[in-house]
Amino acid sequence: MKHLLKTSLSIALALAAATQVYAIERKAALGGFDGFVERMGAGTREMGRGNTGSADTASMPGAYWNPGILGFRQNTNYTLNADKRDLDRMGGNAGIETKVGNRMGVGFAMLYRGDLAFDVINEDDETMGTATPYFTMMYLGFAYRATRQDAFGLSLSMSYDNLDVSEHIEGYEVVDDYRSPVTINLGWLRQWNNKWSTSVVIRNLSFSENLSAKWDRNTSTDNSLPSTEGVRPKILQIGLGYRSHIMGKPVYAWMEAIDYQVADTLLAFDPQLHVWTGRVGFECDIIEGGTVRVGMDDLDFTFGLGYKFNVRIGKKKYLFDVNYALLYESEAGLWNPLSFGLRGFIP
Amino acid sequence: MNFIKCGILLAVAVSQGLAAETLFSNWTFKVAPGTKTGKLYVFSRGDVVSGVTEITLKSTAHGVTADKSEQVSVGDSMTAVHDGIFRDSWAERRRTPSATAGELGLVLPMYTTDKNGSFLEPAGFFSVRSAERALETPLDPPGFAEDLDSAMMYASTGFAYDSTSSILWIARGAAGITKYDISKGPNHPEITDYILNKTESKLEKIPTGKLYKYKKSKNASILDVAINPKSGDLWIASEKGVWIYDGSEAKSLKALDTSKRVTGIWMGGKPFQIIAEVSKPGKDGVQGSLMRSTDGTKFKKVNFLDTTGKVQKKDIFANSSYTVSDVAFLGDKAYIAVTSTGGKESGYLLLDSAGVRAWETDEDDGSQWLNGFERGVIDRDEIITSITTFPLTKNITGIAVSTYGNGISVSADSGATWTPILNRARLSDNLGTIRMVPSVITEVGAQSLVSYKVSRSSKITIEVFSYDMRKVRTIVKDAPREADNSRSTYPKEDYWDGKDDHGRACTMGIYYVRVKDNHGNIGWGKVMTMGGR
Repeated sequence: MKHLLKTSLSIALALAAATQVYAIERKAALGGFDGFVERMGAGTREMGRGNTGSADTASMPGAYWNPGILGFRQNTNYTLNADKRDLDRMGGNAGIETKVGNRMGVGFAMLYRGDLAFDVINEDDETMGTATPYFTMMYLGFAYRATRQDAFGLSLSMSYDNLDVSEHIEGYEVVDDYRSPVTINLGWLRQWNNKWSTSVVIRNLSFSENLSAKWDRNTSTDNSLPSTEGVRPKILQIGLGYRSHIMGKPVYAWMEAIDYQVADTLLAFDPQLHVWTGRVGFECDIIEGGTVRVGMDDLDFTFGLGYKFNVRIGKKKYLFDVNYALLYESEAGLWNPLSFGLRGFIP
Repeated sequence: MNFIKCGILLAVAVSQGLAAETLFSNWTFKVAPGTKTGKLYVFSRGDVVSGVTEITLKSTAHGVTADKSEQVSVGDSMTAVHDGIFRDSWAERRRTPSATAGELGLVLPMYTTDKNGSFLEPAGFFSVRSAERALETPLDPPGFAEDLDSAMMYASTGFAYDSTSSILWIARGAAGITKYDISKGPNHPEITDYILNKTESKLEKIPTGKLYKYKKSKNASILDVAINPKSGDLWIASEKGVWIYDGSEAKSLKALDTSKRVTGIWMGGKPFQIIAEVSKPGKDGVQGSLMRSTDGTKFKKVNFLDTTGKVQKKDIFANSSYTVSDVAFLGDKAYIAVTSTGGKESGYLLLDSAGVRAWETDEDDGSQWLNGFERGVIDRDEIITSITTFPLTKNITGIAVSTYGNGISVSADSGATWTPILNRARLSDNLGTIRMVPSVITEVGAQSLVSYKVSRSSKITIEVFSYDMRKVRTIVKDAPREADNSRSTYPKEDYWDGKDDHGRACTMGIYYVRVKDNHGNIGWGKVMTMGGR
């Protein structure tokens, strides 16, 4: 077990170091291109362990993490999460998923991020009003479990953003809301045995040329402003999960390596057109139903707690899972202690 | 009577500023001397409202500061600046003329909206009696207005006030000249319209109520007017040279080619100078030149010199479509504000007895004559729209420029150093408030200024983060910034243009700006970019 921890930590540190090295030479900063809602992950449980979730059949919402997860659903599950981050950032997500027949599953997820107090200041340094811009992503996923161990999934996603600034801007007929075209995400999850699982997720493919998810944004209704472009980078996300015991307590290790292709081409082999990041997370069921989590998402540290309990309603027992997470955003030096989530399982 | 019929008292909105942070709007188009020493009139037209501000200025050891200000709105149905002023290809319409006209106060042109909702309908002039009273003074359009291609052909493009006879002369393009006689008081004006009859060398009175047939062969549009303080004559700049009107006849000024389109005429300085702008739209943009007469000598084309004083074959007008937006005189020097088409480049030319002297000459770019952003006249790269001299104190003549977007800049030392004065929100000390001005970047390349204040000299680091707190840009790192009562921002560096560290446009969204000093203070601001390609 010590060996496993050592190896995992080494990989995590290597991933973090690699990120730092490449960050210096990237042609684009990770934050500068589309898709931050997606990059920030979903689910308080998953956040507590470094935003890892693609190789875990229990991750929710499955339509977001890896549509292949939906193939392992045995009943109807739902999740509801919210977090309030420093600088008035509010986020949340919700998901519901269920099995269809013996081998299939379907799920829906919605991710939300917004700012609760964005002051619109004009050129005269006057505050014209306070906007609450928000950004959403919606996922509809399907999966088929081809074998006892393998499930393949597909999810369709699109974004809807609302800048909420137009009523405060004079001189331009600014457009507030934008919709992306539907993009396709493909996922495979393999549960090799009781210990190991792996996943491969490809995100943000589209039916356009080069399979790129790309669209125009007309920023004004009177053409007084230049139109701009949205390009969601193609993402390759590879996940690894390991389950074991330490001193009789179940422990789990999760890792993900993510490649963002920052180019509107089918495949780009130039490393300058790729940004790589890594995620790593550990959790341990320290008491019956109680879990402690730690993790790293790129350079951000996370900590999480979870507690599972049953509530008997009528003749049925309903399982609930409440979760808490803390996030430290390293580059910005911000502590975010307010993330809460609920998961429910309907037998 | 006419005035009673036409004059409308505007709603007056007066406000008192308390510190150097009050101006009507940072979109200023005209600066002119105020009602007293140390006061300056500023006309601004922002997105919300336009109006006139009178600012009281003080000269201190650290530059010029604004002590207080009073503003009067000119309403939202009228303005002194027509739409598309920077794109207009006619030089006389690329500036905001004004005159200090006795009891009429400061006069400025007045435009209302046309049928398309654009401010392109000349409607008379504003009479700014004080910072508390601005009067709309309508003038009737000419009887042949319908025959003209555009209402802007009779826009008011020049004012001259004869203080001896209390007459305001107004250049009105194809509508000729309007004589606005207030010798019986500003509320009892006598208004007479004239048109230049160049074949008979006279100003022909247009009979009231009768239709006048404008003929291009016989008449000429009037583009500017000036009163010669030496002779008291009215000098008329027209599309066919300069004409001098002595009260009985209008004589063509032979010293200037009568075929030339003279779009502006300015007088002043010691020794006395007359500067004329000759300009017309051509195939390759506006073609212009400057002429000057000093102390009654013959008009000569203004020389453009390199740093060694050598006359250059090509002047600034050869390189770009510049037109004169204003001229100010101080001693033997003239400060000539110029703007290129679209306002891409602007600044002032410093004209001394030998000519316009370059402040830098290099092999690649040639001589640099334009005093503007690069010379520190303004601290953000905005359009300089006008220039004036005014009595700053009993002993100091100040120079002020107006800018489109960055308020005004004032100099108390003949242009050696400048102090920007603009509308600013108050900031908390030690990075307690970070304001991004403006907070929405509507197109990539537009600048959002990072506004902050520190109470002691600091080393400042400014970084931009995405919503998910990935650092996308370092704007400055450990840059020295001075303590300031108002703000410590260094506008030439402390701004974000919507790009990441590699010059790529960041995608649409909200970004967070962190400002850190070396004393442990941290402040955050927010900015949104509409993205780019």
